[in-house]
Amino acid sequence: MQLKFKVPIFDVKNLSFSVRGQDILSKISLEIYNGEYVAIIGPNGGGKTTLIRMLLGLEKPTSGEVRLFGKKLKNFNEWHKIGFVPQRASHVDANFPATVEDIVNMGRVAKRGVFTGFSKEDSQMVHDAMKKMDIVQLKDKMVGTLSGGQRQRTMIARALASSPEILILDEPNTGVDAVSQQRFYKLLSKLNKEENITIVFITHDVGVIADDIGRLFTINQKATICNNPKEALSCEDMTELYGIEAHLLHNHKHEH
Amino acid sequence: MFEMFEYDFMQRAFVAGLFIAVLASISGTFIVLKRYSLMSETLAHSALVGVAVGLVAGYNPLWVAVVVAILSAWLIEYLRSSFSLYSDAILSIILSGSLALAVIIVSLGGAFNNSLFSYLFGSILSVTDEDVITIVIFGSLALALLLMFSKELYFIAYDEEVAQTSGIRVKLLNFLLVTVVAIIIALSIRVVGSLLIGALMVIPTAAALQYRVGFRNTMLISLFFALSSVIFGMTLSYYFSLPSGATIVLSVIAFFVISLVVNKK
Repeated sequence: MQLKFKVPIFDVKNLSFSVRGQDILSKISLEIYNGEYVAIIGPNGGGKTTLIRMLLGLEKPTSGEVRLFGKKLKNFNEWHKIGFVPQRASHVDANFPATVEDIVNMGRVAKRGVFTGFSKEDSQMVHDAMKKMDIVQLKDKMVGTLSGGQRQRTMIARALASSPEILILDEPNTGVDAVSQQRFYKLLSKLNKEENITIVFITHDVGVIADDIGRLFTINQKATICNNPKEALSCEDMTELYGIEAHLLHNHKHEH
Repeated sequence: MFEMFEYDFMQRAFVAGLFIAVLASISGTFIVLKRYSLMSETLAHSALVGVAVGLVAGYNPLWVAVVVAILSAWLIEYLRSSFSLYSDAILSIILSGSLALAVIIVSLGGAFNNSLFSYLFGSILSVTDEDVITIVIFGSLALALLLMFSKELYFIAYDEEVAQTSGIRVKLLNFLLVTVVAIIIALSIRVVGSLLIGALMVIPTAAALQYRVGFRNTMLISLFFALSSVIFGMTLSYYFSLPSGATIVLSVIAFFVISLVVNKK
């Protein structure tokens, strides 16, 4: 209950989105607080990415309101507090002329004033972000030549370089092998616990929900919020959410 | 070979040409990475409308070309961001529309002559002192803007939406980029010609990309190719009395082919 007195990072009220009369999302209300570790799951086409795009001002809602750190979206200007890693981050154009360091440097661009160059602080933050993601040794490599896991860590390092308070990852595991995924969840959890970075990640894959997730939002046009993900992921919920029998997943969850 | 510099017109052409090489290759890096390559062709044709108006109405064609190219760039950017039209279709419509308009203006004004030919393919003989001054003033301004926002523009070229969610004013900077490109193109048509300037913007970067190096080095390689092409091209133009735009473009294509072969996997 203590949470209620704090200003939420995201405060979403009655958010709806429709395209040509067809509802993609209807009346979504949710709050995400500082320090939380939240997963948003739902089937492909269920509106997860649309929700995130609306939260970030990339898409205009049909109705409803989004507040970021207590401010209305149009008045919000502290974007460096938000680190966003989009879904397509894993499909980098192989020919784009960028080294790992070039990409991570981008994380500092918006923070810098127009007439100021790259400062010592900037380089230090870039280095720290690469160190956290364990990619310092890759800094001169071209992004096109990286493996899926290395690329994923580079994209997150870019987001971390602006020292964000919240990290939003859309389907971060696309094109990443199982071993890298394990390592990735450890990293996220560490960022959440040790650096107090709020984490929101979106996935369509229920099997990857990590144990340390605090809350779970399921999105399929409507949102359901579960405060205790392990108990809430019941067979019925999953069947309703995905429209398929989900007993295998259910068993899998209980093995842990 | 240095005897050519004894002539004033060659000195002017070289100052203008080298300046244009710097402008075209640096702005070209962003244009190519943003997949705006066709944009440079379109703006060059729009600039031609300005040249036509200038020739017929008796104003300095270069100045009118700058204005018309900027207006055209804004129109393209507005259509691209406000309507759900394919951007290459928009570019193609404006490209042919501009050319048609330019030809009609020139025909009605009875100015279809050598002077227009030089604006189409470039001519080292036609560069005046006034042109050099115009190129240096506007060009310096354009270059300063590009360099000031190069990190932002690079980020936008990499991923427009992530740049936006990082707090970068993407729409404004996109307008700035197309405006700067419009200015550069309009300034370049004296030396390179409106039908060929697109090549000087796009090909040096396309060649530099073959080396698969980071952003800074890609830009430097592109700059080197553009400068070398202008030097070779203008020298060939002088000795063989050929339109400078054509010899410059063939030189830059030679660099492109060499880069392709050298970097073949």
